[in-house]
Amino acid sequence: MSEMDTVRSTGTLQLPGSKKYHGELVAGETGAAFYLKGKQEPFVEWNYVRMHRMDNVRLGGTTSRITVILKDETRYIFELNKGLKLYSHMDKHWTDKPVTVITKAEELRRLAELRGERIEKPKKHLISRRHPNRSVAGDILIYLILLLFGIAMVFPLVFLVGSSLKPLDELFRFPPPVWPSHPTFDNFSDLFVTMGQSWIPFSRYLMNTVFITAVGTFGHLIIAGMAAFVLAKFDFPGGKFFFGVVTTCLMFSGYVTGIPNYLIMSRLGMVDTYWALILPAFAAPIGLFLMKQFMEGLPTALIEAATIDGAGRFRIFWSIVMPNVKPAWLTMIIFSVQGLWNTSASTVIYSEAKKTLVYALNQIQAGGIARTGQSAAANVIIVSVPILIFVLSQSRILETMASSGIKD
Amino acid sequence: MQSQSLGRRYITMKREKMAHAWTLAKRNKGCYLFLAPYAILFFTFFILPIATSIFYSFTYYNILEAPRFIGVQNYINLILQDEVFLTAIKNTFVIAVITGPIGYILSFLFAWVINELPKWLRAVAVVIFYAPSIAGAAFSVFSIIFRGDAYGWFNSILLELGIINAPVLWLTDPRYMMTVLIIVILWMSMGTGFLSFVAGFQGIDRSMYEAGYVDGVRNRWQELYHITLPSMKPMLLFGAVMSITSAFNVCDVPRALCGYPSTDYAARTVVTHLFDYGFSRFEMGYASAIATVLFVVMILCKKAIAGLLGRVGT
Repeated sequence: MSEMDTVRSTGTLQLPGSKKYHGELVAGETGAAFYLKGKQEPFVEWNYVRMHRMDNVRLGGTTSRITVILKDETRYIFELNKGLKLYSHMDKHWTDKPVTVITKAEELRRLAELRGERIEKPKKHLISRRHPNRSVAGDILIYLILLLFGIAMVFPLVFLVGSSLKPLDELFRFPPPVWPSHPTFDNFSDLFVTMGQSWIPFSRYLMNTVFITAVGTFGHLIIAGMAAFVLAKFDFPGGKFFFGVVTTCLMFSGYVTGIPNYLIMSRLGMVDTYWALILPAFAAPIGLFLMKQFMEGLPTALIEAATIDGAGRFRIFWSIVMPNVKPAWLTMIIFSVQGLWNTSASTVIYSEAKKTLVYALNQIQAGGIARTGQSAAANVIIVSVPILIFVLSQSRILETMASSGIKD
Repeated sequence: MQSQSLGRRYITMKREKMAHAWTLAKRNKGCYLFLAPYAILFFTFFILPIATSIFYSFTYYNILEAPRFIGVQNYINLILQDEVFLTAIKNTFVIAVITGPIGYILSFLFAWVINELPKWLRAVAVVIFYAPSIAGAAFSVFSIIFRGDAYGWFNSILLELGIINAPVLWLTDPRYMMTVLIIVILWMSMGTGFLSFVAGFQGIDRSMYEAGYVDGVRNRWQELYHITLPSMKPMLLFGAVMSITSAFNVCDVPRALCGYPSTDYAARTVVTHLFDYGFSRFEMGYASAIATVLFVVMILCKKAIAGLLGRVGT
């Protein structure tokens, strides 16, 4: 970067969830860098090839707040003391030509304005990012197919919810309605009230599952998070090999290893305890895999700077790395919850009082046709929890999945 | 002479490498401490089971007596004498070949189409397509939909339309079981791979598409093959791994829908077979042999797919 082509200003850099760093932002033609006060080495640096987009950049004027978003979705927020006049080129590179435009559409709009042409406000399309090489007929056909499949996908779930709300007479009406005409919560209250007086109350199964899921997920988050941190950020012998083994083990589900697992559990005296379900969940390969892939996107400089400041490895992990990978947490949580919440645990747990929800569901279903309503209600309870968690954390989960690829 | 000096050079190189690794390991002692809790648990509950499984597959072991080494007898019995295993293999293979690739391709195509929707609609669509596989036990609703009497929803529709005269036993008649199973498994197949695809599409550099328009990429299919697929390779491999896993590990669905054991073993899969021998008959050695066969098949599948994907878009 030669002195001529760069613009610079002092200010602060902020990564979400972590503290602010004071220093100087230097932007040049091919990339930009942020220097901590008095340091020669850049704290973070990137070239524009890695850059996805910039937000908060005011057109035609000086800008003092810039958000840079990299392709791996890392966000850098700069608050600058002195407003920077960013000089942009057609291809978004900073040069000495004073064209303060960031997007191509803006560029064209401004050119049209200069020529005195009438500017049409861009219409808002339903499909906002239309590609120029798409045919309308093709679009319609494809979305029609998508709609049909969408209905097919959602139908069984709607049917399930419908069944759980049906009163007894509607469950056995011919033809069976998809949605009840007189919805009722009787089936749900039956689960807790009528079955509450049976040998093991339904709420007991619910509490067992909540306990297993909560403890298993929490432990998994910490233990797999620690392992992912060192695997992603440090080069030590055996690390790569270990990760390769974990990646291969993504393929082996609990069913295939069920038998030797049972033998090991009985050796360890864990059969018929919650630990038989919780401990293996701590080591689930998918969580480590996703967490490690996501952590690789964290700037190494962040960790190095903290090391120089004298922070221990655990402090770095706990107060710098973990707050910065919240999306990955949510993803680990959803996969872990999905696995634990849906476990029937029929092989490692014998005591009725320790059984899980899915096991209870299987029992209710085995009760035959008379139990259709209750089994649908129990099923709705089981199904709604993972779906709800997913709905609430979807965008963060997708952020993590963007780094899920396996490079072979 | 030549080979000797080469050999010596190789040994010195090895030694230097080892020394380097040792210094690296010493410098990063703390790393092993961080890895240890996970590594111990992972070893105990994932590596050790696989290793014991391979070991027991060469023995006769019924838990009560000590394992007795019998060589490859389990494998011989498996292939030559166990007719139910052959049914299980055939079923698993049919399920894997149909639901694996179709589920994989569908989840890729849906992710691709969904990607071009506006943001709010995309979020809704992702939930709709992903919900069945995240919902775990939700598939048991199919036991109501495909119930064998006239109150089953599918039967009632067909009866109303006059296509059938008497209700069909969808879940207990060997003629229909596999079809129903495949439909249900396909319904659940938009899994982890699908999420990975959706996220992968959002991460593709848009300027590559713009460059594509300039270079004369005429329609969406060309764009898919020449631009989108090559930039998605890592996600494609991840999706494939997840897809193989779910296709070969089918177990809960047939057990819950078609009964266990199912009529004429028509819905038996390798994993239900394994369960039968492991947890009902306690023939652990034999069950381990089944598991080992499954390991090998899955690893070979992954290798084959990695090879295929290596050639995409070139």
